[in-house]
Amino acid sequence: MTKRLVLPALSAVAIVYALWLALVSSPDVFQGDFVRIMYVHVPSSWLAFLAFGVTALGSALWLWRKTIVWDRIAEASAEIGVVFTALSILTGAIWGEPVWGTYWDWGDARMASTALMLFVYLGYLALRRATPDPVARAKRSSILGLIAVVQVPLVYFSVSFWRTLHQGQTVRPDGIQMDGSMVAALLAGLAAFTLLYLALMVERVRLARIEDENMLSDSVTAGTAITAPDLDGIS
Amino acid sequence: MKDGSGFWTQALTIARRDLMIESRGGEVFGVVLPFAAVAVFVVPLATDALATRLDQLALPVFWLVGLLFGMQVALRQTGTENLAQRRTLALLGIDPAARFAGRSLAAAVLTTGVMVVIAPLVVLFYDPDVIPAVGPSLLAIVGFSVGLSMLSTLAGDVTVGLRTRSSLAPLIVAPISVPLIIGASQTLEALIRDRSTMAPALLLTVTVLSLAVTGVLTAPALEDATT
Repeated sequence: MTKRLVLPALSAVAIVYALWLALVSSPDVFQGDFVRIMYVHVPSSWLAFLAFGVTALGSALWLWRKTIVWDRIAEASAEIGVVFTALSILTGAIWGEPVWGTYWDWGDARMASTALMLFVYLGYLALRRATPDPVARAKRSSILGLIAVVQVPLVYFSVSFWRTLHQGQTVRPDGIQMDGSMVAALLAGLAAFTLLYLALMVERVRLARIEDENMLSDSVTAGTAITAPDLDGIS
Repeated sequence: MKDGSGFWTQALTIARRDLMIESRGGEVFGVVLPFAAVAVFVVPLATDALATRLDQLALPVFWLVGLLFGMQVALRQTGTENLAQRRTLALLGIDPAARFAGRSLAAAVLTTGVMVVIAPLVVLFYDPDVIPAVGPSLLAIVGFSVGLSMLSTLAGDVTVGLRTRSSLAPLIVAPISVPLIIGASQTLEALIRDRSTMAPALLLTVTVLSLAVTGVLTAPALEDATT
């Protein structure tokens, strides 16, 4: 029990530290304090990419090894990815209103492609929910998990492929275009969100195992409860 | 290939079978197409036709109807294989990739047919200022139909046998089909505005090829999952 609390406790401490750094870092020359939303927005987006990448990896490993734990990992990661994609869209919209003057802009390739990525993974989760049998579910969803991951590079490179309102990559091979305190807050946010992802993954995979076990025990109970009809006395 | 069981022979046989079933059932041209025509007709009634520039709605309505009814074509009841049919094909040694190619080909032919009939209706009801050249437009429509058919066939196979298939498959297809919509619609826009069609046509081609590769590579795993 104590061991199980280590990762959540570590991630909680890391998140508090990252938020503190986000609050004390320098404001942006142009955006002022609104830039602080970035310290939640960017880690959320990173976490979504990581989560969907792990979903694809889990799907591929399930298809290769047929070990159910890979399917549970794929499912858990997709669920976490969906939550953080939604958070990324939400924080982006909140930031966009004061800085761009709009919550949503259809001309922005990053926004539109991120929303599409969210819908694709909602479809993935809907497919999982529609298939009660764990093995059949794993077989079907692993294929979709591999197809859906194509959205991730599309979203990431959308700011380079299309002319768009969203800013380009700040961290590039030729250097980082940010103040030192902002970089520290951003890196702390990325590390804290990654720890949170690990903590959520461990718990969700454990929960998925319990769900599968319950489903199997339910089917056994239902099976034993059914007895042959008593036809004595019926002519 | 010599014994008639090569990839393309199998694919063409499956496509011919699907088209034959469709010609008997008449689901696409007897039900889906009239429904699509009604959708084209209803949109102006849902807007204030005097205040709205209908000519500006022509292309969006055309592609939207193409997407929604193209999905219906690929997921049509007459094109759905039941478990017994899938198992029979597997036992006969039909290559799952050829099965995917054949089913997609049949759906692409039918979707192209629907869109070719819908196009003049859109011109008639929406009166667009400029009508793009027929040849290149047809290529864009065919590219879109082929891509959409492959995607819908994939989604249909992933969801086969599920009670929620009719709503789940479109949920999977619609967001993933966006590169197809962008590629095809921008190609047509470029033709209308006399701009280079290189970039959108390339996007359409790359998306179609990616779907073809994905469909062929995942076909054996999908067959294993659904038989």
